Amino acid sequence: MSRLYGDPIEVWVRDGQPVQFVWRDRLYTVREIQDHWVVAREWWKTSDADPGERRFWRVGAAAGKEVGTYELRFDTASDGWLLLRAWD
Amino acid sequence: MGLGLMGLESMGRGPMGQGPMGTLQGPPFAHLHVASAFSLRYGTAFPGALVRRAAEQGADTLALTDRDGLYGVIKHVRACHERGVRPIAGVDLALGAGPPTAGGSTPLAAEGPFPGGSSGGGPFPGDGLFPAPGRRAVRRTPGEPARVVVLARADGWAALCRLVTAAHAAGERGEPYVTPGMIAEHATGPDGGPRLTVLLGPRSGFGRAVAERRDDQARALLAAWRAVLPDLVVEVSDLYGYRDANVAARMVGLADSMGVPVVLTNAVRYLDAADHQVGNVLDAARKLVPLDGRHIDDPTAHAYLKDGAEMARVAARICGGDPGRAGRLLAETRRVAERCVLDPVEIVPMLEPERPRLHLPEVGEDPIPRLRRRCEEGLARRGLDRSAEARDRLAAELGIIERKRLSGYFTAVVGITDMIRAMGVRCAIRGSGAGSLVNYLIGVGEVNPLEHGLLMERFLSEGRPGLPDIDLDVESARRLDCYRAILGRFGEDRVACVSMMETYRARSAIRDVGAAMGLPPHEIDVIAKAFPQVRARQIRAALSDLPELRDSGLNDRSLQAVFRLAERLDGLPRHIALHPCGVLIGNSTLRDRTPVERSLLEFPMSQFDKDDVEDAGLLKLDVLGVRMQSALAYAIQEVERVEGRRIDLEAVPRDDRDTYDMIRLSRTIGCFQIESPGQRELVAKLEPRTMHDLIVDISLFRPGPVNSDMVTPYLETRHGFREARYPHESLREALRETNGVVVFHEQVMKVIDVMTGAGLAEADRARRALGTPEGREAVRAWFVPLAREKGYASDVVEQAWRVLDAFGGFGFCKAHAAAFALPTYQSAWLKRHHTAAFLAGVLTHDPGMYPSRVILDEARQCGVDVLPLDVNHSGKTWLVERTEPVRDGAGGFGDGYGLRVPFSVVRGVSEAEVDRMVAGRPYTSLADFWERARPSRPVAERIVEVGGFDALHGLRPGEPRWRPGRLTRRDLIAQVGALDRGATGAAGQLPMGFTERVAPGELPEMTEAEAVEAELAILGMDVSHHVMDFYHDLLDALGVTRAADLLRQRNGAEILVAGVKVATQTPAVRSGQRVIFTTLDDSTGPIDLTFFESVQAHTAATVFGSWLLAARGVVRRTGIRAVSLRAVHCWNLADLDHVWRTRGLDAVRAVLAEVPVPGAGVGGRPIEYGNGFRVSPYSDNGAPPAAREGRLPGHPGEPQRRLWHASSGSSGPPPGR
Repeated sequence: MSRLYGDPIEVWVRDGQPVQFVWRDRLYTVREIQDHWVVAREWWKTSDADPGERRFWRVGAAAGKEVGTYELRFDTASDGWLLLRAWD
Repeated sequence: MGLGLMGLESMGRGPMGQGPMGTLQGPPFAHLHVASAFSLRYGTAFPGALVRRAAEQGADTLALTDRDGLYGVIKHVRACHERGVRPIAGVDLALGAGPPTAGGSTPLAAEGPFPGGSSGGGPFPGDGLFPAPGRRAVRRTPGEPARVVVLARADGWAALCRLVTAAHAAGERGEPYVTPGMIAEHATGPDGGPRLTVLLGPRSGFGRAVAERRDDQARALLAAWRAVLPDLVVEVSDLYGYRDANVAARMVGLADSMGVPVVLTNAVRYLDAADHQVGNVLDAARKLVPLDGRHIDDPTAHAYLKDGAEMARVAARICGGDPGRAGRLLAETRRVAERCVLDPVEIVPMLEPERPRLHLPEVGEDPIPRLRRRCEEGLARRGLDRSAEARDRLAAELGIIERKRLSGYFTAVVGITDMIRAMGVRCAIRGSGAGSLVNYLIGVGEVNPLEHGLLMERFLSEGRPGLPDIDLDVESARRLDCYRAILGRFGEDRVACVSMMETYRARSAIRDVGAAMGLPPHEIDVIAKAFPQVRARQIRAALSDLPELRDSGLNDRSLQAVFRLAERLDGLPRHIALHPCGVLIGNSTLRDRTPVERSLLEFPMSQFDKDDVEDAGLLKLDVLGVRMQSALAYAIQEVERVEGRRIDLEAVPRDDRDTYDMIRLSRTIGCFQIESPGQRELVAKLEPRTMHDLIVDISLFRPGPVNSDMVTPYLETRHGFREARYPHESLREALRETNGVVVFHEQVMKVIDVMTGAGLAEADRARRALGTPEGREAVRAWFVPLAREKGYASDVVEQAWRVLDAFGGFGFCKAHAAAFALPTYQSAWLKRHHTAAFLAGVLTHDPGMYPSRVILDEARQCGVDVLPLDVNHSGKTWLVERTEPVRDGAGGFGDGYGLRVPFSVVRGVSEAEVDRMVAGRPYTSLADFWERARPSRPVAERIVEVGGFDALHGLRPGEPRWRPGRLTRRDLIAQVGALDRGATGAAGQLPMGFTERVAPGELPEMTEAEAVEAELAILGMDVSHHVMDFYHDLLDALGVTRAADLLRQRNGAEILVAGVKVATQTPAVRSGQRVIFTTLDDSTGPIDLTFFESVQAHTAATVFGSWLLAARGVVRRTGIRAVSLRAVHCWNLADLDHVWRTRGLDAVRAVLAEVPVPGAGVGGRPIEYGNGFRVSPYSDNGAPPAAREGRLPGHPGEPQRRLWHASSGSSGPPPGR
C-alpha cells in the first residue's frame, strides 16, 4: 500500500536525476529509477506567464537495507522538491 | 517495470545541452511525424521554420505529415530544396468507421474512430498534486478519433494525393477520414509495388489498445493491418508524459513478437517547447471547449523538433537500457526515411524554372496552328490586318508563346471567355494580360495594347520565370455559374479551384483565445470588435499606441493573458477557404498532382494556395467576380425594362463630354475606382477628359505614387504651371504621356531599355528587382555602367537613376490600369445618362465602399426620387420607376425617375418570403398580404413599420399623432398580431380576414423621426427623410456651416460642421502618421475632415465610435472646387442634441467651448520602406480588403446594419458604449 505525503525534501541531483534525498531526517540513496514523467502546469489557472512544469520520478531507494519505492516531484517554477508518495 | 538509470537528464523544457548520450554515431535522425501550422488549429510552426531548424540540427531528411491534408507540402519541399534537406511527405489522417473491408467484419473494425473498450479511467489528472496511480491513463480525449500517419514512398506522391482526396470525399467537410480499406486501395501501385508506408502510432487503435492493456486486441489489429498493407510499421514516441515510455516499450515488444518493424518519432507539433501554451489554446479552440486538463492533447511540452542526441535519449528510455534495441529502433527509422525520400523537382517543377514540367490542359488538336488561326482572324476583325506594327508585334508574341509551349493555355482561355460571354455574362480582362496583343486579337481582352503603349513583356517574356497570369473579371453574381461551366467543359477531374488559408488576425485570435479562456461570448465580441483590422501580434502595441483603445478599459490586467496568447496565434492558418478567383485547369493527371477537397459550396478545391499551384507547375486562370460588372449588367437590364432599348456598353463612345464633366465635378459616388473621398479630390484636380487621363488617374491613386509625391509634379505640368522636364531627350518618347513623371511600370521598362539597350524583357526583370533595397543596389550597379557605356553623361544617368529609385517598386502596371479604366468610364457614363438604373445596379450589387444609405443620398442629389417600400410596387431588387420630373430646375441628371426600395432589404426577410411577396402582387389589404405572401410575423411588422402599406391603406406618419377613426401604422402592427394569433389558433376558426377587426385610430401614428429610426433599423437606410433633417434646428442655433456653403469659406477659417458619418479611412500617408480621414454628409453634400495625430487623443474614440458627428475644423482649400477641413475637435451630435433638449443652448455652447485635455497621440513605430517612405503601422496597408464594419450601436441583440464605410485600419466602437 502506498501512502501520500507531500513533504518538502532536499534532493541531490547528478546528471539531471535524483541520487540521494533526505526525508524525515533520514538520508535515502536512490538505487533504481523506475519511472520518470513530466506534466506541464495548467498555466491558464495561474497569473504566471510561464508556470513551468512538474517532473516526477518514481525511484527505488533505501535509507538502510530495506529498499522501498518513492515518488518525488520537482517543480521548475518553485525550484523545490516534494516527496509525494511512498510504498514501504 | 524498470527503466534503468539511463539518460534521464533530458527532461528539460528546451533543447538541452550535450549529455552523455549527446555524442552520436551514425546517420542523423529523420523525423517522420511532423505537424506544421498547416495542421489547422493543431500545429504551431511553419514548414520553413521546421526545415531550417532541422538543417541546423544536422538533419538531412525531414517529413511533413500535417493533419488531414497536404496544405503545407509544396512549401515544405521548397524549403527542403533550399536547405539541402531531403523531403518526405505524408499525412496524419483520422480513422473512420466506414464499411467493413471485404470478407465481413475484421478486427480492423476496432480501428474505428472510437475504439471499443473505452478507457473508462477518464482523463489524465494533469496538474494534480497526486496523479492517480492505478488508473489506466489514456490521455487522449475520448472524443478524438484514432489516427494513423501515411507517408508517400519515393514513387508514391500521386497515391498520397489521391488518398487525401478520397479521405475528404468520404468525410463531412472539414472532417475527412480514411478506413483501412481505403488506405489499402491506394497503398499498392498498378505494378504491384508498394506506394505508401503506414505508421501505426500511439494514437491509432492499435496504440490505444496497447495503452489500455488489451494486448490480444492489439495483436489482432496489428495482424489485420499487416494483412492488407504492403508496407506497415509501428510508430512509437515518448513525450515524457505519464506512462508514455511504458506504453512505447510494450508497443515495441508486441511489434517485435510479430515481426513488424518499429520506428521512433516525436509526434512533433512545436518548434520549441515554449510553443506548448499555444498548442493548448489551439486544442481548446479546435474542440470548442474552454481550456482544461481534460482537453489538452499533450500534457507535456516535449512534442518539439528534438535533435538527434535528444531523440537517441528517447530511444534509450523506451528500450529500457537495451542499447542494441535502441540502436535498431533508430536504424529502422532511418531505413523507412530512406525509402520515402521524394524528388523535389517532381513535386515542385518550378524549382527548375528553365525547363519546368508543366501540366497543361488538353485541347484536342494541335494548339499551335489553332492559336495562329484565331490571331489571324482577329487581325481582320479588329481592323489591324494592314498594320505592319500589329503584324510584327503579333509575330514576336507568338514566338515567345510557342517557345514556352503555351499555345494550349491561350487556346483554353479563349474557349473559356467565349463560353462565358455566350452565357450572357459580362467578362473583362484585367491585369498585365491586357498588354498582350494576342489577348486582344483572340477576344480575351477589349483594350488595344498598341493604342495605349502597353507591353507584352510586362505579362510574358522569355526570361520571366513562372507562368503567365490571365485574370478575368466576370459579374460577381454569375461567378459561380462561370465556375460550373468551366467544370462542365473540362470535367471535374481536370479542374479544381484554388484555396487560400485564412490566418489569425487580431480579432479572430482574440475570439478563439477568449473562448478558450472561458470569457462570456458577448464580452469577447465587444473586445474583438474594438480593435482595428491589425495583425494579431500588434494587439498589445495597438492597446498602448491608439488613443481610442488606451482609454477603453481594455488595458485591464485580467485581459493581459488573453492578449498575450492571442498575439502568439499571429498568422497561424485558421481555416481553408475558396480563393476568390483562382481556377486550376489541368489535364487528366491533375489529381495525381494535387489533393482536392470540397469547398463550402461543394466546388472541388485544391489544397494548394495560389503560390503553391504555380510552384507545382499547374496552370491557373483567375476568374474574379466583380460586383461592378454585375451592377453594370443590372443597369443595362433596367434600362431595357423601363425604356425598352438595349444599350451596347462596349460600343458607347469613350469621349462623352457630359460624362467627363460629371467626373470633374467629383460627382463620382458609385463609380468604379473613383468614388473614394481621396479620388474625388484627385479627379477634381486632374480634370480627366480622355480614357488616357482616367488610366493615369487610377495609376496615381496608389500608396506608391502618393507617397513618392508623383501627383503634384504631374498635376503642375498637366495644367501648365510648370514645364515638363525629361532627364534626356531620348526619354521623351517614353515619358511624354505623363509629362515626364514616371507613373507606369511600362515607363520604367522603357527608360531602362532605352538607356541600357538591354531589351524590354531584361528591363522588366530589373524593374521587378527595384522593390527591395538589395535589388535596387544590384540594379544600380548594373544600370549605371551600361548607360554610361551607351554614351549618356554621368549627370543624366544620375538623374535618370534618381527617377527610377524614387519609383521603387511602387508604380502601377499600365495594362492593369487600362483594363480598369474601361469599367470606370462605363460606370460613369451610365451614371450620367441612366442615373436611376445605374444606382439601382449599385444598390442591388453593392460594388463600392459606401453603404446603401450613402448611395441613396447620392440618388437624391442627382434628382432621382427615392420611393418607399410598397407591397404593390416593390420588387425583389431595386427597381426603376418613371416619376414626374421636377420643374424647379434644382434637379440633376436623374430627373424623372425614381428608385423603389425592394423587399429584399427588409431585415430578416428570407429569399422564399421575398419570392412569395413579389409573386403575390397586387394585394388588396394587409390581411390579403398576410394570407398569400405568408411572411413571418416580425417581417410583416417591419414592412408595416417602414410604410409598406402606407399607399394601400392611405397612411402617413407625422402629426397629428392621434387620429380618431383613421387607420395608423401602429393599428396595422396590432392587426399583424391579431392575424398571427388567428393563424396559430385552433382549427375551425373563421377564415382569415374575419378573425379580428382592429378599430382604426386606436393607436397613435408614428412621428417622422420614429419612421426614420425604423427605416434605419429595418432597411439600414433613411428613406423618407435624411437623418440630418431632425438636427437642422440645432445646427442653425449653433451656426454650423453646411457642406453646400463650404466653398464660400475663406482659407484658414475655423468653423463648425456636422453630419452623419459616411466613411472613416486611415490610408498610408507620407508622414508615417496615422491620419484619420472622415467624410460626413449633412444632406447638402459631403464634408471631408482630416484628424491628425495631434488631436486624436481627444477625438479618436468619438470618430470611430459615433455615427452622428459635429466637428470643429480649419478650412483648407485643396483645389478650385475642393475644400477639406483639418479637424480640431469633435463631438457626438446625438449627445449634443440631448444636452440641447434637456439643458438648453448655453449648455451646448459650454460643451463646445471646453478645451480638450492634451493627451498622447498615436504611438507605434512607422513602417519604413526601402525608398524611404514611412507609413503608420495602423494605416490601411495589408489588411484584408473585404474588411468592413460600421454598424449602428444601440440595438443590442439584433443584427445591425452597416451605415458607414470603415476601412480596415479603423477601430470599432469602444466597449461600454
